[in-house]
Amino acid sequence: MTPITSAPPPALFTPAPDNWKLAILVGLAVAILSMFALPPAASFWTTGAMAAMVASAFVVNAYRRHYYGGLLVAPAIAVLFVMNIFPLLWSLGLSFFAYQSNQQTIRFVGLTNYTKVLTDSLKAPENWANLTNTAMFVVLTVTAQMIVGFLLALMFSKQFPLRKYLLILVLTPMMLSVVAAGVFFSYYYDPTFGLLSYFVRVFTGQQYILMDNKAGAVAGIVFADAWMWSPFVMLLVLAGLVSVPKYLYEAAAIDRVSGWRRFWSITFPYIRGLLMLALLFRTIEAFKMADLVILLTKGGNGTMTISYHLIRIANEQNKTSEGAAISYIMLFIVIVLTNLYLYIANRRTEGA
Amino acid sequence: MSTIELKQATKKYGDFVAARDVDLSVKKGEVVCLLGPSGCGKTTTLRMIAGLERITSGEVIVAGQRMNDLPPEKRDIAMVFQFYALYPALTVGENIAMPLHHEKISATEMKTRVDKVAEILHLGSVLNRLPGQVSEGEKQRVAVARAIVRDPNCFLFDEPLSRLDVELRHSMRGQIKQVLSNLSKATVIVTHDQLEALTMADRIAIMKDGIIEQVGTPHEVFAKPANVFVGSFIGTPQMNLVEAKLSDFDKGKAVVSFNGQDIEITTNERVGKLSSPKITIGIRPRAFTAESKANKENIQAVAELIEPMGAETLVHARTKGGNDIRVVVPREKRVKVGEALHLRPDAAQTHVFGEDGKAVRL
Amino acid sequence: MAEVTSIWEKLGFRKASGVSEAGWGQTLFAGLISLIYFLPVLLIIITSFKLQTEALSIPPKFMPTNLFGLIPDAYVFSPTLENYTSVFSRAMTSGGVAENTGFDRYFFNSIMIASVSVLLALVIGTLAAFGFSRYPLKGNDTYLFVILTTRMLPAIVVIIPIILMFRVAGLSGSYLGIIMLYTAFNLPFTIWMMKSFFDELSLDVEDAARLDGSSGLKVFFKICLPQVLAGLAATFVFGLILTWNEFLFALLLTGIDTRTVPVAMSQAVAGGGIGVLWGLLAAIETLFLIPVFFVTFFLQDHLLRGVTFGTVKR
Repeated sequence: MTPITSAPPPALFTPAPDNWKLAILVGLAVAILSMFALPPAASFWTTGAMAAMVASAFVVNAYRRHYYGGLLVAPAIAVLFVMNIFPLLWSLGLSFFAYQSNQQTIRFVGLTNYTKVLTDSLKAPENWANLTNTAMFVVLTVTAQMIVGFLLALMFSKQFPLRKYLLILVLTPMMLSVVAAGVFFSYYYDPTFGLLSYFVRVFTGQQYILMDNKAGAVAGIVFADAWMWSPFVMLLVLAGLVSVPKYLYEAAAIDRVSGWRRFWSITFPYIRGLLMLALLFRTIEAFKMADLVILLTKGGNGTMTISYHLIRIANEQNKTSEGAAISYIMLFIVIVLTNLYLYIANRRTEGA
Repeated sequence: MSTIELKQATKKYGDFVAARDVDLSVKKGEVVCLLGPSGCGKTTTLRMIAGLERITSGEVIVAGQRMNDLPPEKRDIAMVFQFYALYPALTVGENIAMPLHHEKISATEMKTRVDKVAEILHLGSVLNRLPGQVSEGEKQRVAVARAIVRDPNCFLFDEPLSRLDVELRHSMRGQIKQVLSNLSKATVIVTHDQLEALTMADRIAIMKDGIIEQVGTPHEVFAKPANVFVGSFIGTPQMNLVEAKLSDFDKGKAVVSFNGQDIEITTNERVGKLSSPKITIGIRPRAFTAESKANKENIQAVAELIEPMGAETLVHARTKGGNDIRVVVPREKRVKVGEALHLRPDAAQTHVFGEDGKAVRL
Repeated sequence: MAEVTSIWEKLGFRKASGVSEAGWGQTLFAGLISLIYFLPVLLIIITSFKLQTEALSIPPKFMPTNLFGLIPDAYVFSPTLENYTSVFSRAMTSGGVAENTGFDRYFFNSIMIASVSVLLALVIGTLAAFGFSRYPLKGNDTYLFVILTTRMLPAIVVIIPIILMFRVAGLSGSYLGIIMLYTAFNLPFTIWMMKSFFDELSLDVEDAARLDGSSGLKVFFKICLPQVLAGLAATFVFGLILTWNEFLFALLLTGIDTRTVPVAMSQAVAGGGIGVLWGLLAAIETLFLIPVFFVTFFLQDHLLRGVTFGTVKR
């Protein structure tokens, strides 16, 4: 819908309620000034006030120029901005500052935080260890999910009696609260009372402590996580499998196409896109892996992940800038991965 | 031996009978068309031959072997689908080559056969494209190519030309007919377009509501329709059907009355032996001669609507009793709206259908 | 004579007619696998009926009855509804001491916070989705992609600033703060879902209405909205599922009064006053699971759209 044009936009420096360009200029200037001159709480609210001013200028502008689309979209954008974009930007800004030893004031230190986090002899090894742990978890659990999810999807691909009811049984793990899953898996893994140990005892007569060593702990966490989220992959692959038009399979039957070739040439192209989507979603979510770690091992036995680490230091004031730096490193990794995914996905559709 | 035979083939979905007691026999090299309106069961019948539908009762026999329980893979039948069913992720060349993988031939021989077929259907230039990148007509040819690249027992076509525009249809009809006659295998074509059936088939089987109404050569079904349905389905403009009463019959001449008019027509003796006087008269629009005066052998009607059709003109006329009569006259004969017409039906082309709708013939 | 039916058909794994159907053989196979997969959940449900003393026992008891002596008594426990009644009453009598579990409050918190934030997201998001769909801007795709990515961000990245923000703004532990946060969480997914529903509507009806003189707002309410009611329901439900189970932010941002059930559960495990009452926890989780379970069952068809944020349709 093209806007019905009415009055022309005001010139740059006239203070009118709908002059959003001016609002941005003024707002930005005041916000930056306040960050340097005022204590954090005050600068926060000042920036907020400036943002509100800019926003209202936009709204009035949109209303006057019948930009209905803009009006409809505005509240959503506002909320997202406040809750997502703004914290991101603030966090970015924060990562360039550091608290002084008196833990009261902060000052600009540029990239020091980043270098400290990555290379400092005291802190860095822990951070790198966390990163590698996280990477290991991500790789293990995503691989497991993709395989199990795919197999489950194959099982459900055809229409058979009671399919609807069996499907929801498999979907239930996804609906569990992570806490419940964590709590109960720790119960199952418990050496004294847990089922796992019990079964092992039947064969070996001894208690089995899964969480004792790193391999066991990792296996335990990965198993629980993969169990919970494989149904997600299954759903996506199933969507692909089901979207193959029936007549293609009929033609394949007439053409006497063998089973393997039929899967590869006909079915797989339909699920490839969805598999990649599943890969992307699950990888990003896997980075957040902290809940299960908290509940199952509390980070012991070398299972600490970067997310959990961040949560632990989130409440310590003098570490917030360091935490911000770590967050941004993580964000950077995620952005790289996402772009890698997009690149691969687009390249395939072009070449195909 | 390339033949297809259906004996009392029936397909039921629960209580709904899609095809009932279909008897059909197709000889080697013969092209039979299943023709009928949508929902008549022609596609179901085709799919029963292919094995894509499990036959409920009856038999399907291809190349002398009973195929009731065999899946499509084992029937050695080639099929061209209505929506082409081309594999979207494979190139045109790979699509055509798909059936050949089963035959365990070398890659070079595969390529030779694909190239040969591509040449016949003028697909050489698009062999490396994807189905999504070629035109509708080319897609259709690829589907046909995929079917003929093998040497199957027989061919099945499901509404092959229905998705093409008129000109393309015209040229493809000729091409397909040519290819089929070269290959000389039993072929069944399903279509709802009578022109397609009339031009491409050796014999036509007309179906309605799951039943075959008539099987015959194009000439037979046109000139000697077995019942009212076939008569009205075949031929454009549609045959005029008038419900009438047989008043008198004497020595080959029947007096037939409808809605206030009596007309004497020359017809066969069996008409005189009908148990019920209720009949339907069928006269094709081109079977009339316009006479200058009313007499006992012509129908009186008044022209209501004139549709010029180029070389001919279609006149919609109405009798005093309210019957609609369609007449086709040559362009030169100018008819005006409101003009009184005296239409004499040609005896040889006048069909009498009994109360049950069946044609009354010797 | 060629082979009539393959072994796969005899076992019920494939039907000769129709290439994508299978019979009871497949049901048996899938049933077995599904049950095994469902087992941990089943065990939770069973545990919810156990008394605390029997919850932790060696060997683990998992049968409620001894099936007339078929199962050795060691594996049998006596089922009880005590856990369920304790959830909502304030008393736990196992062990003889009545304690205030407080879970009725936590349930209330969870329900209220989740529904309010999802509803808010629904209202704001549907309006925005309508805007994106019917009034596309030049950079529409970019905006939408950015919105989607805000959800894909590992929440971790924003945790620290959000905590700071909340502390500075005095929102820590308040209902308002967490509701606003969850609303922001639900927005991207709501917008994508609803936009995909709006995109599917045929524009002709709307244009006809406009020609008849309806204003934009009336068109929206009387014509578009009724058609996407199913979409609204599905979006509401999925948002609920996602928010219901949220743990990380709830852990960090809710206070004692505003705590949600997942947080409370984790506290129970950590020994935050009640100790690990397995039976009670199992009952809580089962209760928590039931609404989600049934709703997912009925909305299975829309499930895919929800799970992929509306980017994929059936």
